Amino acid sequence: MAPRIYDALTRVVANLGNNSRVLAEHAGELGIMVWNIGVACVRLRVPSREIFRQIFVVGIQSVPIVVVAAGLIGVVTSQQGGYQMQSNLPLYVMGSVVVESVILEMGPVLTAIVIVGRVGARITAELGTMKVSEQIDALYSVGRDPIEILAAPRVLALMISMPVLVAVADVVGILTGMFSAQFTLGLGPETFFYGARLFWHSYDLFYSLLKAFVFGVAIPIIAIHMGLRTSGGAEGVGRTTTQSVVFMTLTILIIDAMFPPLFLQ
Amino acid sequence: MSRHSNGSEPVIEYLDVFKAFDTPVLSGVNLSVQKGEMFAIFGPSGTGKSVLLKTTMALIIPDRGDVRVAGDSVYFGGRRSLEKIRDNIGYVFQYAALFDSLTVFENVKMGISENILRDMSRIDVERQAWESLELVNLEPGQVLGKLPAELSGGMKKRVGIARAIAGRPEILLWDEPTTGLDPVNTAAIERLIRRLSHELDTTSLLVTHDVEGGLDMCDRVAMLEGGKIRFSGTPEAFNMSDDPVVRAFADRAAAIAALDVLEVR
Ligand SMILES: Nc1ncnc2c1ncn2[C@@H]1O[C@H](COP(=O)(O)OP(=O)(O)OP(=O)(O)O)[C@@H](O)[C@H]1O
Ligand SMILES: [Mg+2]
Repeated sequence: MAPRIYDALTRVVANLGNNSRVLAEHAGELGIMVWNIGVACVRLRVPSREIFRQIFVVGIQSVPIVVVAAGLIGVVTSQQGGYQMQSNLPLYVMGSVVVESVILEMGPVLTAIVIVGRVGARITAELGTMKVSEQIDALYSVGRDPIEILAAPRVLALMISMPVLVAVADVVGILTGMFSAQFTLGLGPETFFYGARLFWHSYDLFYSLLKAFVFGVAIPIIAIHMGLRTSGGAEGVGRTTTQSVVFMTLTILIIDAMFPPLFLQ
Repeated sequence: MSRHSNGSEPVIEYLDVFKAFDTPVLSGVNLSVQKGEMFAIFGPSGTGKSVLLKTTMALIIPDRGDVRVAGDSVYFGGRRSLEKIRDNIGYVFQYAALFDSLTVFENVKMGISENILRDMSRIDVERQAWESLELVNLEPGQVLGKLPAELSGGMKKRVGIARAIAGRPEILLWDEPTTGLDPVNTAAIERLIRRLSHELDTTSLLVTHDVEGGLDMCDRVAMLEGGKIRFSGTPEAFNMSDDPVVRAFADRAAAIAALDVLEVR
């Protein structure tokens, strides 16, 4: 009996140690990568053509899905808000509920989740495939640095695209929220925006875009990091891509949870 | 012994190279290759021949030891020195490792270092890519615009070689350059290796399973087995060696006899 408990305990401790070692490893590698990307940018070694191409692929081509997602979020927020405050509160409060939840929370977070699926997964799979088929090695062998020509353009592109995408999502979400309030609650646009203005701080928009920017940095960095440490063929690419999506989603939610105490005081 | 009277100048030196993954792969490899030499490394599958070649340009970092290229340390010389070493070496990957999103022309062009590319006119780049493809017995007009996925295995291999020689490097590392090629193309590649060595004084280090070809063509050969260099010397010495593992590679009858020595089941 006793040895078995002892065994189990050892295993738990060993697992704990192993996990923290892996975590430390990730953190160290991430840190070095971020540093190298920074150095590549400062040395102006990032090909601008590739940055523009990536902005097109990750930014502009993401607009449709972001618009659809944001549109639905606006509708849902306004419906649900209307349902919960039936006859308890003045209706114009709805304007504030929709605008504030879209701008502060739903817009940035849901756009980020959509981008994790559409762009983050793609980056990990793309770089992971290049890694396992030795294309990353081949780049080094011809004197090119994958950090400069693959990683940095993707980070810069998302850093620039995310705030724009979130701004689009904010606008679309507010508009569909407003229309939906008009159809279901009979709340006119003037009343809607009257309510919105009552509780509006101009700081809120900055907060929304700041969140977007931070997500826009976090997503590609994790995606690239995971992609470049892929091993084990097609299965390995699949495994790392899944891990990467989980990792990115959790990071988004954790960052999101840290935002109010840091920036809303 | 050698065609090179001044052949005592080592261009590649492996100094006590150790590398373990899950199990030890290289355990103290010492070897030096002279300028202008054609040098072949034989060895059973999975002994670390590819790993050893990759340590030459820091595609795989050894756990211990160092590699010197033209007198400069690969691992202790700093970033600039490594960049210079990589520009000086062409690497032929065992599985071609072509950039699969780039056309054949762009792939071959990547073989020319950025510093040189900057001062070349477009016509010159095209001519050099064209010539490189001709040297590997490909019809440039037919393949230049194709993507790697549209090529056969042997064609990919030869495009990989064209990329490695595009920058006319002083040193070429060939990982099984003729595996998977038909006899005519094998002869073409062997002739290419000879010509580069004779006309441009290129140093060639090749890993090959084609022992006959290697012995026929190379100035010196070595045998890597059990993580160490088991034999190193001239082809004549190789043929006369009475080491059973070396004998196994020298003739077929001995290979069967060696099944026991190498513990092949
Ligand atoms: N990136 C890696 N990660 C883990 N193990 C590796 C890696 N690269 C090589 N190995 C291991 O190192 C050993 C040597 O591999 P290597 O590719 O150098 O063999 P090789 O001598 O080139 O064989 P072959 O003649 O079949 O090409 C193998 O056991 C392989 O499993
Ligand atoms: Mg190999």
